[in-house]
Amino acid sequence: MANNELKKEIANALENNVLRGALGRFAQAYPIAREKAFTGYDFEALRDKVQEVKSFAANNIDEMIDQFEKNATARGAKVFRAANAKEANEYVKKVANDNNVQRIVKSKSMASEEILLNESLREEGMDVQETDLGELIIALAGHHPSHMVLPAIHLTKEQVADLFTDYTKKKNEPVISYLVKTARVAMRKKFLEADMGVSGANMAIAETGTLMMMTNEGNGRLTSTIPRVHVYIVGIEKIIPKFTDASYILKTLPRNGTAQNITTYVSMYTGATEAYLADGSKGTKDFHIVILDNGRRNMLKDQKFKQMFNCVRCAACINVCPAFQLVGGHVYGGHAYTGGIGTLLTAFLTSEKTASKVQNLCLQCGKCKEVCAGKLDIPEMILELRQKYTSETGLPFTQRFALDVVSNRKLFHSMLRIASVAQKPFTKGQQVIRHLPMFLSGLTEGRSLPAIAEKPFRDIFPTIKQEVKEPKGKIALYAGCLLDFVYPKIGIGVVSALNEAGYQVIFPKEQSCCGAPATYMGDKENALKSAILNVEALSSEKVDYVVSACPTCTHALKEYKILLKDNSEMLQKAEELDNKAFDFSKLITMLGGLEDKGDGEPLKVTYHDSCHLKRKLGVYQEQRDLLTNTKGVELVEMNESDRCCGFAGSYSIKFPEISGPILDRKIQNILETGADVVAVDCPGCLMQISGGLDQKSPQIKVKHTAELLLEKRKD
Amino acid sequence: MDITNNLYEKFKEKFEGVNGECHRVSTMESLADLMSDILTQKGVKTLSIFESPLSQASNLKEKLSGAGFEVHTDDLLSSTAHDDAGITEVKWGIAELGTLVQIAPEVDNRLCSTLVPIHIALLKTSSVLPELDDMLETIHSLPQIPGFVGFMSGPSRSSDIERILEIGVHGPEQVIAILVDE
Repeated sequence: MANNELKKEIANALENNVLRGALGRFAQAYPIAREKAFTGYDFEALRDKVQEVKSFAANNIDEMIDQFEKNATARGAKVFRAANAKEANEYVKKVANDNNVQRIVKSKSMASEEILLNESLREEGMDVQETDLGELIIALAGHHPSHMVLPAIHLTKEQVADLFTDYTKKKNEPVISYLVKTARVAMRKKFLEADMGVSGANMAIAETGTLMMMTNEGNGRLTSTIPRVHVYIVGIEKIIPKFTDASYILKTLPRNGTAQNITTYVSMYTGATEAYLADGSKGTKDFHIVILDNGRRNMLKDQKFKQMFNCVRCAACINVCPAFQLVGGHVYGGHAYTGGIGTLLTAFLTSEKTASKVQNLCLQCGKCKEVCAGKLDIPEMILELRQKYTSETGLPFTQRFALDVVSNRKLFHSMLRIASVAQKPFTKGQQVIRHLPMFLSGLTEGRSLPAIAEKPFRDIFPTIKQEVKEPKGKIALYAGCLLDFVYPKIGIGVVSALNEAGYQVIFPKEQSCCGAPATYMGDKENALKSAILNVEALSSEKVDYVVSACPTCTHALKEYKILLKDNSEMLQKAEELDNKAFDFSKLITMLGGLEDKGDGEPLKVTYHDSCHLKRKLGVYQEQRDLLTNTKGVELVEMNESDRCCGFAGSYSIKFPEISGPILDRKIQNILETGADVVAVDCPGCLMQISGGLDQKSPQIKVKHTAELLLEKRKD
Repeated sequence: MDITNNLYEKFKEKFEGVNGECHRVSTMESLADLMSDILTQKGVKTLSIFESPLSQASNLKEKLSGAGFEVHTDDLLSSTAHDDAGITEVKWGIAELGTLVQIAPEVDNRLCSTLVPIHIALLKTSSVLPELDDMLETIHSLPQIPGFVGFMSGPSRSSDIERILEIGVHGPEQVIAILVDE
């Protein structure tokens, strides 16, 4: 099964200390450097504009291509529209042959790697030299790029020194400045002897026929200046409407990609320029622009994937991805494109098979979406792919079985009740399971699992005395699996707080799993079953609001209207549910907050932002205010408070080897605060973080905000 | 005058921030002397000049030859491949970023500013524009977009090996900007 192959690749990558070190250091430095680069600039406003101009081009692609071709041709460029890789490669071969080209130099072009241009030209017996330092290095190593902007990040200077020693037949010391000099001297000769240059472009301006290249090393300028023939390979998504539109990309791409204010060089070519010809005289070079489709138009055909044209290839998404930071682009990517965006590009442009394998690595944490210069919803698109591949090939039997059980409320709840009894040998009377036996032992490595509660919340609820004088209204509590069967105390805290805010709480008993596990595993069928079940359950009685203390569930409840958009009977109820459903901290704040109260006992609390609460629901301040307004609480912020804890639902079961190190980093950040308690608003994060702390620093407790409020505010 | 000074100061700050070296002279007369000093200080013996209004008005070729430097103004393909430095005039500067902007459809202009290890750029101080957007608008309002427009923000660089920043890769290792007031 594809997953076995993937698991092996992951294991190899995780054992590669060089790779992990390099990626880890970059992950630490990047957010700080990026923030500095954007100081004084409005990132949100800029990326709104990037999205605007790129979508305009995407929506008018034929006009744009026509306009670009017309304007470039008028200035002496020869423009060729390549439908696919084969056509592009054939064309470039022809240009080379027609011009007696033997030696070719290349500056960076990912599109050329996508179509495997080098291989095609080498088959003709031509010499093809990558001149970009990183590309040169990986070409010598025989590797594919492990990162879109830093392709050789996985190699040490010692490894580069060895490669250069072989290449130059002279001993190269592992000193970076000497190695760079070696590259400079070796490439100089290549530039001066080259018959043809091949480059990629960052932008193609329809209005003027101009190509813009953003580079740092100078090889882009040399490749496009010295040879008498020059070819640009440009994907159709690079076209933007107007010359001044370039401003938005010039301002975001360098800052997002390498935290620079501007790349060292921005080279703008409009038409054919002057070059030295074969006979030594100066004349106009033979200038070609290959406009490449190769699957890009298929992105435009699908409403959900059209936004891919907004990508400026800055790789910021890769730079903040917790999974990528651990395994790198050779695992999380295709042969040309890497990371989250790389998975999507690979699906459309190079290999659906590879994409279907590597998309599994996405945690759905949403951090990439936050930094994307083109406002792409990368996690949403990956989920689309996941659902597509799941419906085509089906889920592995055990996963399918589990999801089928979960969407059957009576069966699921019976099994949980059985499990609460059967677990006793493993809990040994504790609230946690520290060691599962045999083949399940991996599940408790580095993280203890909580025991299933003896009495689920749904059984406790009827026993709760709600004393609400003059109730302002009624709120339905949606519990979700973890709160109901593992952490019922959170539910008690929620009821108490809502009572204090003046509301009566009801618990519709027909509710069951929200269906998120099915959704995130790509099982639309079971997700739909859960949607129908819960919409019915939650609209059985009229309420003012629906509260949930698990953001993943909250988000799921709000999204049922999308799952049920074709179900005319249920759609209205689903829309009503969206309007009424809120996460606990948000709802309490909306209802006017709570009185400043508290036992006054000093308690140092740090806060972990759950991915879905912060990035899907936009809630991150309300809970902090609730905590700081509780007498005795001292709130200290941790580093990377909104970085994923590694739980990511079923991900922590499918990829514990990735989930584990992500959790380790979260724990490290927690320990550095010196806090006594970690507050969270998600039972999933609670389970993950407390499981990790239980094995490493059990003196630090993890509590749901609702539970913490209950404990510190009760009289 | 004040605006020009402010723009110059901003440009200098940003240009130095990207490892550029920034100088200013008030007259064309003094340009050659300053140039001579800089070249001597950097151990330059041979250089290529892509002739331009500023280089000609300040008599750069004669004065530098007279000072003992080997100066090339033709056959620049072969001279720029070996010379210690190259001198070109650039059209504008962008204060916001410390960027030099050249209009260089001529191949020799590009060779003289890219192939050489030391690039010395001449620029009229009054041609420093405040922001990137001003530059794009200015280019856009020309009768047609020139065949080649090049933004250069300091010497060439790369972090491709272990993410350690190295200055001086394939393009110039040093970039000196001399802004001329006159």
